[in-house]
Amino acid sequence: MEGLTNTVKESRKEGAIVIPVYNEEKNLRAIVEEIRGSDILWDIIAVDDGSSDRSRELLESLPVTVISHPLNLGYGAAVQTGLRHAVSEGYETVVLMDADGQHMPSEIPNLLPALDKDADIVIGSRFLGKPSDYRIPFLRRVGIVFFSILARMLGGTRIFDVTSGFQAMRRDVAQFLAEEYPVDFPDAEVIISLGLKKFRITEVPTQFRRREHGSSMYAHFGRAFYYPFKSILASFIVLLRLIREKK
Amino acid sequence: MSFQAKLIITTLALLSGFFVVDLLRKRKLSESYTLLWLLVIFGMFFFTWADKFLYSLTLLFGAITPVSTLTLLALMFILIMLIFFSMKIYKMERMIKEFVQRVALDNVKRDPRLTP
Repeated sequence: MEGLTNTVKESRKEGAIVIPVYNEEKNLRAIVEEIRGSDILWDIIAVDDGSSDRSRELLESLPVTVISHPLNLGYGAAVQTGLRHAVSEGYETVVLMDADGQHMPSEIPNLLPALDKDADIVIGSRFLGKPSDYRIPFLRRVGIVFFSILARMLGGTRIFDVTSGFQAMRRDVAQFLAEEYPVDFPDAEVIISLGLKKFRITEVPTQFRRREHGSSMYAHFGRAFYYPFKSILASFIVLLRLIREKK
Repeated sequence: MSFQAKLIITTLALLSGFFVVDLLRKRKLSESYTLLWLLVIFGMFFFTWADKFLYSLTLLFGAITPVSTLTLLALMFILIMLIFFSMKIYKMERMIKEFVQRVALDNVKRDPRLTP
C-alpha cells in the first residue's frame, strides 16, 4: 500500500474529518449536518465499512467524500482507509470521530489548540473536565482504567481515556497509522504504539453524548469478552516488535 | 501392534489416498496440498509397518503401547497443521483487507460522484 500514501498531492489542505461508518443510517445525516452547520469547513471523509443498511446510499447524498468497502472489514480497517485517503490527499491535520453521534463536532475546536502547541496527537477525553450526563458502564470503566495503566507502563503515555476514538492528529501521525492499524479494538494498542514511537500524545477534556440509535461495538457479549484478552496480547506484542526493530 | 490394527490403519490410509487424489482430479485441491497429504499417508504406512522403529519411538516417548505413540504423533501433526492453516488464513485476511481498501480508494479517485 506504499504507493497509496506516497502519491501526495502538491497543494496540501488544512484538515479533514475522518468518520468510519457501519450501519449508521439513523445517525449519519444529523452528524454531517451538525459538522456543516458549524464553523469547521474541513472536508469530511466518510468510510462506509460494508454497511448492510442504507448508510452508503445516504452518504452519497451528503456533502462528504464517500469511500466504500465492498465488504465489512472492521472498525480499524475503516479508520485506516480514511487515514490513507487523507494522507494521499495531503491534509495537514486529521480528526477522527465516530458516526454514532457521541462525539460532538462543536468539540473539535477544543482539540486543535493542543496540536498547535506541543502535541502530535490529541485525544478527546471523557474523564477530564466537568462531568456530563454521559455514563460509561462500570465494567467498561474498569477496563479503561486498566488499559490506561498498561499504556503508561508499556508506552510511557499518561492518557486516561485510552478508548476514546475522538482524536486529532498531525499529518505525520496519520501517515504512521495509515501504514499499520489494528483491524479491531485499536484503542490501547495504538496509544502504546505511538508512545513507543515517541509521538507526543496529550488529552483534553471533551463532552460526549449518548448515542440515540444503534448499539456500541463493545455491547455484544462475545466481543466484550474477547476485547480485554486481545488488547493485552496486542499491547505486549507492540512492545516486542519495537524491541526487535531496535535490535 | 496387532495385525488387525495394521489392517485397519492401512485401509484408512489407502482410502484417504484415493480421496485426496480424487479431489486433485476434480480441481478441489492443489498439487502442493495433495503432495502434503500423500506424504502424511506415506507416514501412516511407514509407522504402521516399521514395527522396530515404532517400538524405539515408544520407548523414547515413554509411551505404553505403539498405538499411543501413533496417537501422539497424529496429535502433534494436527497441531502443526492447525497453526500452519491459521497462518494461511491470516495471510489471506490481510490480503483481502489490502485489496478491499485499494479498491475503495481507487473508486473514490475515479468516480467524481463520490466527492462533494
